[in-house]
Amino acid sequence: MIELFNAEVAVENFGPLLAGLVLTVELTLVVMVLSLCFALLVALAGMSRFVWLRWVIKAYIEVMRGTPLLLQLVYIYYVLPEIGIRLPSFAAGTLALTLNYSAYLSEVYRGGIQAISTGQHDAAAALGMTRGLAMRRIVLPQAIRIILPTLGNYFIGLFKDTALCSVVSIQEVLFTAQIIAANNYQYFTLYTVVGAMYFAVSFPAARLVGYLERVTRGGYRSRHP
Amino acid sequence: MTDKQPRPMIEIEGLHKYFGPLHVLRGIDLSVAAGEVVCIIGPSGSGKSTLLRCINHLEIAQQGRIRIAGEIAYRDEVGGVFRAHSNRAVAAVRAQVGMVFQHFNLFPHLTIIGNVMEAPVHVLRRPKAEAMRRGMELLTQVGLADKADNYPEELSGGQQQRAAIARALAMDPKAMMFDEATSALDPELIAEVLAVMRDLADRGMTMLVVTHEMNFARQVASRVIFMDHGSIVEQGDPAAIFADPREARTRDFLRTVLER
Repeated sequence: MIELFNAEVAVENFGPLLAGLVLTVELTLVVMVLSLCFALLVALAGMSRFVWLRWVIKAYIEVMRGTPLLLQLVYIYYVLPEIGIRLPSFAAGTLALTLNYSAYLSEVYRGGIQAISTGQHDAAAALGMTRGLAMRRIVLPQAIRIILPTLGNYFIGLFKDTALCSVVSIQEVLFTAQIIAANNYQYFTLYTVVGAMYFAVSFPAARLVGYLERVTRGGYRSRHP
Repeated sequence: MTDKQPRPMIEIEGLHKYFGPLHVLRGIDLSVAAGEVVCIIGPSGSGKSTLLRCINHLEIAQQGRIRIAGEIAYRDEVGGVFRAHSNRAVAAVRAQVGMVFQHFNLFPHLTIIGNVMEAPVHVLRRPKAEAMRRGMELLTQVGLADKADNYPEELSGGQQQRAAIARALAMDPKAMMFDEATSALDPELIAEVLAVMRDLADRGMTMLVVTHEMNFARQVASRVIFMDHGSIVEQGDPAAIFADPREARTRDFLRTVLER
C-alpha cells in the first residue's frame, strides 16, 4: 500500500523547503518595498500637468494590466538577453514583479489621493504650503491610511504570485519542491508541505489586513492609542 | 516701519472672475485698511466667497490686480502681458493672509496642536518648541487649551472652527479672511465662534468677513459691503447700511434676511 503522506520525507526535506520559503518571503519583501516606492512615483506622474507624461504612464499601466504576469517574467528573463540585457534570476523576477505590481498599486495610490477632499488642499494652500509640501504632509498621510488594507491584500497576492518565479529558475519554495519531487516522486507529501507553508504565512497576514481594515474604519484616535 | 501713509492691507482693482461662461466677479474694486473689519453680505451666488478665494489665489481671477500689504500678488502685468508668479511666491503671499473655511478643513490625521503647529514648523521653519509655545497661547486665546491633544473628529463643530482660527493665527497673518465661518454650525455653537472673531477684531486684526450673521456685521464691522451678481452694490458704515440702505437691492436683501 502506498502511503500518501510520508512523514519521513517531509522531515527530511523540511530544511530545503524552509530555505525556499525564506527566499519566497525575501522576494515578496523586496518587491513590496520597491513597488511601494515606484508605484507612488507612477501615481504622481500620472497626475502630472504634463499631458505627454500622463500618456506614458497610462500606456505603461494598460500594458502591465493587459498581459499575463507569467509572460512578463518570461519576457524579461528569456527575451531581453536577445537584445543584450541579461539579468540574473532573482533580479529578473524582482523586476517583473515590481513593474507588474507597481501598475496596480499606482491605481490604488491614485484612488487614495483623489479621495482626499479639496477642502484639505485649500486649507494647506491657504497656510502657505506648496503643492509638494501639502502632498507630503497633508494628503499622503491621509491617503495611505485609506489604502492600507487594499495594499495589504495586494501584498498577500504578491506573496503567492512569487511562485511564478519558478519559471525564471528562482529557487523559491515551489520550485524547490518541484526539484525534490522530480527525484523521489513524493508529490503528495512535498506539495502538501508547501501548501501548508504558504498558508501558514498568508493566513496570519490576511488576519492582520483584516485587523487593519477594522482600525482604519474607526476614528483617528483609535489609530493612535 | 515707515508708515506715514500706510498702504491698505488688501487692495483689489478691477477684479473679474469667470467660471466658463459664468461671470462671477464683475469688476471688484476694494481696499481694506490695516485694522479694519469689513463684512461682506449678500445673497448666495453673489460672488462673496469667490472674492475671498481670489484674494487667496485659491481661484485664479482672469482680470484685475491684487495687492497684499502693498506687494503685487500672484502675477505681474508688463505691457498687457501677464506673468504668473512662481508657486513658491504664491505660497509666500498666501502665508500672510489667514483663511477660515465654512467646513473648518482641519487636518484629521493631526491633533489640534499638531494642526496649529503644522504650517509654522514646515512653512516658516520655526523650531518646534517655539511653535508649540505659540500654539498653546493661541489655543488658550480661543478657549481650547484643554483640547490640544485631541483629534479634530473628537471636537464639536464650534470647537473645530475655533481650532481652525487658531491654526490660521499661528502664521501671524497680516489679515484674516472668514468664508461663512459659522454657516455649517448648529445654531447653539455659532455664538462661541463669533465671540472669538469679535475678540480678534478687538485686538486690531484686519478682517474680511463673508457672513450671514447680520448682528455680527452690525456690531463688529467697521464697514459693510453688500454684493449682488458679482458686483459691490453698496458699502458703508454698518449703522447706515442697516438703518437706511440706499439701493433697492440692499433693502430687499436685508428685509428677507432680517425677517427670519
